[in-house]
Amino acid sequence: MRESNTNSTAYVRKFSFRPFEGFRRGRVYRLAAVSWYWWIHQWERSRAIKILIGFLLFTFVLMNMFILTFRDLMLINPYTGEAISPNQLLEDTILQMIRGIVSFGMTFTASGDTSNGFSEASFNVGGTSIFILILVVLVGSGLISDDISNQTTEIYYSKLERHEYILGKFGAFFIFGNIVLTLPYVFEFFLLVIGIGEIDLITALPVFVHTIVFTELITVTYSSIVLAFSSITRRRLYAGLSAFMFLFVANMIVTSLAFTGGEVGLEILFDVLTVLLLSSYILTGTTTVRLQGFYEVNLTDGVGLESWMILGALGFYILIGFLIVVVQVYWRHGK
Amino acid sequence: MEAETIITESLTKFYGKIRGIEDITVRIPSGGVGFLGPNGAGKTTFIRTLLGIIRPTRGRAQVLGYDIRHEINQVRDRIGYIPEFNTSFIPDTTAMKFVAFCARMNGLSYAESKQRASDSLFYVGLGEERYRKLATFSLGMKQKVKLAVALVHDPEIIICDEPTNGLDPTGRVQMLELIRSLQTDEGKNVILSSHLLRDVEQTTDYAMVISEGKIRAEGNIKELTANRRSTVSVKVKTKTEELLHALEKRGMEVWIEGAFIEVKTNPDVEKEIFKTAFQIGADIRYIGSRSSTLEDVFVSLFKEQEAPIQ
Repeated sequence: MRESNTNSTAYVRKFSFRPFEGFRRGRVYRLAAVSWYWWIHQWERSRAIKILIGFLLFTFVLMNMFILTFRDLMLINPYTGEAISPNQLLEDTILQMIRGIVSFGMTFTASGDTSNGFSEASFNVGGTSIFILILVVLVGSGLISDDISNQTTEIYYSKLERHEYILGKFGAFFIFGNIVLTLPYVFEFFLLVIGIGEIDLITALPVFVHTIVFTELITVTYSSIVLAFSSITRRRLYAGLSAFMFLFVANMIVTSLAFTGGEVGLEILFDVLTVLLLSSYILTGTTTVRLQGFYEVNLTDGVGLESWMILGALGFYILIGFLIVVVQVYWRHGK
Repeated sequence: MEAETIITESLTKFYGKIRGIEDITVRIPSGGVGFLGPNGAGKTTFIRTLLGIIRPTRGRAQVLGYDIRHEINQVRDRIGYIPEFNTSFIPDTTAMKFVAFCARMNGLSYAESKQRASDSLFYVGLGEERYRKLATFSLGMKQKVKLAVALVHDPEIIICDEPTNGLDPTGRVQMLELIRSLQTDEGKNVILSSHLLRDVEQTTDYAMVISEGKIRAEGNIKELTANRRSTVSVKVKTKTEELLHALEKRGMEVWIEGAFIEVKTNPDVEKEIFKTAFQIGADIRYIGSRSSTLEDVFVSLFKEQEAPIQ
């Protein structure tokens, strides 16, 4: 290690100290600055994150080539032989794509939907969701735990309020979520509009809004859970593994229940990813969903699983995750 | 510049039932102030309370006229803080990026933060290393990065909590020199918290002694040391005990330290000693004055502490 210049004290007077006479920015600027820095730092520090984001972009390109090649075939329902309108194809494709972010096996489909089945078989659905989950864990697991292990919190707390620190961390994840989830799928929406052609944009507007709302909902849910795990340990590895297991294992259990033909009831609420997936159906007004195409679940009949339970469970997970972060930052890190 | 930078009134912090600081009422003057006390005395708790990192249990404090309960963000923008913790920062980022990031947390624009980060790193002697990753920095270099972080937003007060911890002698000298120059050349108010008496003595003019969460003494270091125990040491060939008693009879404050009789200084002390020694027939082998140091003050305070204070 070279320290030759620091062994002399001559430098002390070499550079005089320049007083700051500028204007100090407000709290919002500071919040945006810390969020951006913490996100950029995650991007810069990990080669795996760059590779995974590159891979996701590549799958987008691949998927669109596939869609454009088979466009004409897709406009006919292979099961019924009926024609599908371009708007319907757009809706089926983009909704299945965004639902695929939180589904490894695509365990649910809307009952009686007019999908031609293309989306369920596409490379994206159930394929890239695992990579997105890994990416989420890689980015989020170190956001708070690294600060604890590096003891940088003391510097941050001497400059920021605790709530600004928390919002900054969520902000960093939010930037990541928008870059990796929302923006690509919004872009994909327009690519599909161009690729499929003859789309009535006014009719397609609710689909567009749902694309934004649902990807943001995924970002909020993931951020809440991953940051909660990050705040309770000083090791990013433990935080990442715990978050991954919490999301992945529960999802596998629910899927395996479906495959073994078991009755799927309220235990579904323990699976965050399935709850997220079902909330997409609820937000688009679907009342009956089919589990793996076999078991129908009516979400509004007052029996068993209901819409309010799903939305309540989702809100509960988000709230609990957020509360864990708040309690950790205010209580544990404050000592 | 205000005459007093920090004013506290009954500032108290309890961690559950454990006392951090209790009823600290001080008026810290501008310039350099040493905050002295053994480990666990409450120095860091006091500093963290002033910065709003922890909330006081009771009491009030003002920093540069801003109340820490209601105007803590104004306080933070005016204080540069070098934490005690052996932080490893963000290991895989460069010093330049980290310091600039800290400047942005204090509200500096992107361009200004980069410029000032560069200036600050040059100022602390890390100009050449500013684009190196922090993971490759030695402990001494990391301490300087902390100083750059504290300086980058041009605060009026710089609080250094144990800034020489873990530094080798050269690094220690450099760090203290930097801190001293911040006071003398740049006109900053520096609060140096340390359990190392020499550090405080070398860098500040005013000292406060804290122990068990309470302020035990405060004042100008020269006055503290002068008032306490400036002595004259006397060594005699024989009759040490006789001389001791004879000096006591004359109303002088004396005690034995090893082979020497220590006599508390007064204007005619040497004359009195020679006169008394001549009267009892003691041969003086050595006589010389000994200036008391802050260490003497510190030791005497903690001897006194065995008896209840306040």
